Amino acid sequence: VTPRAEILVVDDHRGFRVFARAMLERDGFTVAEAATGAEAAEAARAVRPQLVLLDVQLPDTDGFEVARRLACQGDAPVIVLTSTREASDYGGLITTSAAAGFVPKDQLSGMVLQAFLDGARDDKRPSCPPG
Amino acid sequence: VPARLRAALIAGAVAATAFTVLAPYYGGWPGPHGPPIFVITQAVVLLAYLLAGLAAGQLRPAERTGLLFTVTGYAWLLGWLTNLHAALPFTIGFVCNTLYQPCLAHLALAWPHGRLRSRLDRAVVAGNYAWNIGSNIVGALFWNPRAAGCGAGCPANLLMLPGSTQLNEAGNLIVTVISTCLTLIIVARIARHWISARGYARRALTWMIWFSLPVAAYLEVLEIASNYDTGISDVVVYGVCPLILAAGPVAYGVRMLLTRSAAGALGAALVNLEPGPDPDLLRDTLAKALGDPSLRLAFRVADGDGYLDTSGLPVGSAPPTGRVHTPLGPAGDAILVHDEELRHEPGLVRAAAAAARLALEHARLQAEIRAQLDQVRASRTRIVEAGDTARRRIERDLHDGAQQRLVTLSLALALARRQAEGTSPGLEELLQTASEEAAGAIAELRELARGIHPAVLTESGLAGAVQSLAERSPVPVVIVAVPGGRFPAQIEATAYFVVSEALANVAKHAPSATARVTISQRTEQIVIQVSDDGPGGARPEAGSGLRGLADRVASVGGLLRVEDAADRGTRIEAAIPCR
Repeated sequence: VTPRAEILVVDDHRGFRVFARAMLERDGFTVAEAATGAEAAEAARAVRPQLVLLDVQLPDTDGFEVARRLACQGDAPVIVLTSTREASDYGGLITTSAAAGFVPKDQLSGMVLQAFLDGARDDKRPSCPPG
Repeated sequence: VPARLRAALIAGAVAATAFTVLAPYYGGWPGPHGPPIFVITQAVVLLAYLLAGLAAGQLRPAERTGLLFTVTGYAWLLGWLTNLHAALPFTIGFVCNTLYQPCLAHLALAWPHGRLRSRLDRAVVAGNYAWNIGSNIVGALFWNPRAAGCGAGCPANLLMLPGSTQLNEAGNLIVTVISTCLTLIIVARIARHWISARGYARRALTWMIWFSLPVAAYLEVLEIASNYDTGISDVVVYGVCPLILAAGPVAYGVRMLLTRSAAGALGAALVNLEPGPDPDLLRDTLAKALGDPSLRLAFRVADGDGYLDTSGLPVGSAPPTGRVHTPLGPAGDAILVHDEELRHEPGLVRAAAAAARLALEHARLQAEIRAQLDQVRASRTRIVEAGDTARRRIERDLHDGAQQRLVTLSLALALARRQAEGTSPGLEELLQTASEEAAGAIAELRELARGIHPAVLTESGLAGAVQSLAERSPVPVVIVAVPGGRFPAQIEATAYFVVSEALANVAKHAPSATARVTISQRTEQIVIQVSDDGPGGARPEAGSGLRGLADRVASVGGLLRVEDAADRGTRIEAAIPCR
């Protein structure tokens, strides 16, 4: 496990943020939180996380759009989308998005996110799709 | 006509005919030795007028035509009295032997309704009667039957001045000239009536022109032949030519028949009209049936008291001179504007109005049904739309509420389990079981939500949704084509349910088949085809699934077809209009 990797959890559901933070901190990550797309952009600039765990449904804007914006800024983090729904409920949207992947909320664990971080290190930067 | 009068008229006709046939056998002049054609012609003309009178009285009781026909018939009979071997009837017969002529003139000038139109006509008719009777009485004063060839035993002319001789040629010439002038005046008056008549009346007068011209010519021949030695055979003058007189009543009878068949033709024409006929076509049909080319069919203006006809021209509330408004139905929302003369054909006008009313009522009902059908269609679409919206909202609520909480709970349980790791095996196991329960609940809830409304449809449209259906289908699915763009939610939902239901059908009836899905967008519709290479056997009337699907497709104005051929699999095709 990469020590002290910074993860930004973006979700408007407080309960989820609480347990996600507890779980990820237990796995050795440093966790920051944001409840909206706007907060996420701000936090990403301030915290410079390695990975953003991004809920697809946010109150102000949808996760795909937030992912696109984050991916298009300099030194972009690895973006992992999450939802209470399954990936198949989004058709091809996830694969064409700026995110590195998707994890259903109930399958969340530090191990899964670490795998994304490891994959991203081997890979190039996340692509910045046009809006 | 009262039954008693009708019986009297029939009895009169029979008696008159019997008299005509039998009278010559009782002497008189020309007596039983005259040519038989005299009797035949006399009887034919007599019967023609009496029967026409009977028919006219029966069919047109409001008119005087029947009376005039009957009077003319009996006037014609009076001349036959000369056949009786007695001085009084012989004399009356002689005086009245041309009385039918002013009766004919009266009939012709009063044609077609039996009433004289003007003071001038009344004067002409009265003068004609007076001249006829007067000149015959004067003639009788100087007429010696024996000198005229009425051999021995001839009855006496009671009016003859003792020792008188025949009128001289000068007297005859005056009578002939005046009679001829009167005939010409009458023919001119008939022609005048014909020229000023329009529509229905003109048609009736056309008959009269064709009748009156040969009759006038005959009367002239008769006038000359009876006063001068022309060398024309008596058989022609008194036997054949008078048959022309029968042409009038016969023509009248024919016209009656045509009128009746016009009413019949009207019914037939309207029955043959397509349901809810075009008002122009209805007008043309009515105009033809009523014989009034100028007929107009007009409808009340929505907010006013005027009318507009089928050409869009305004029609005043009061008819112009010579025209009559016949309302179609009590409300008077539509009227027929027709020739005033048609009021003499009340039955025909009534039939036309009733037929037009029926046709319009039919059209109105059709429009009403069409409007109701449109409303029902629209409300069906709205109901399905509202259902879709409600399902989408429920899915969303489940996702945002219960599902979210369950997921958080599941996360909490996972966390708790990891914290309990190695500390309490009992608790760890308990938490493991709880985690599994939560995972099961999440899976079931997801399936339930997807059944209520597929989130993928809302999220990524038809292409993604069909892809997701293909992935979840237990049978292999080949997606041949799916348009990538977005469509109105209702169209997407309908298309999705078509594919979903069709794939479920394949899985149920042909589990070892491969399904092919093709969705193509055409100019104004989306066509969804799902086919399989299974054994076939899908019947839309058998399963509620396909029937429900057909209803669903119909709710957006589309059409579902199921083609099912043994050994060639089943093919479900839905065409959905997309505006």
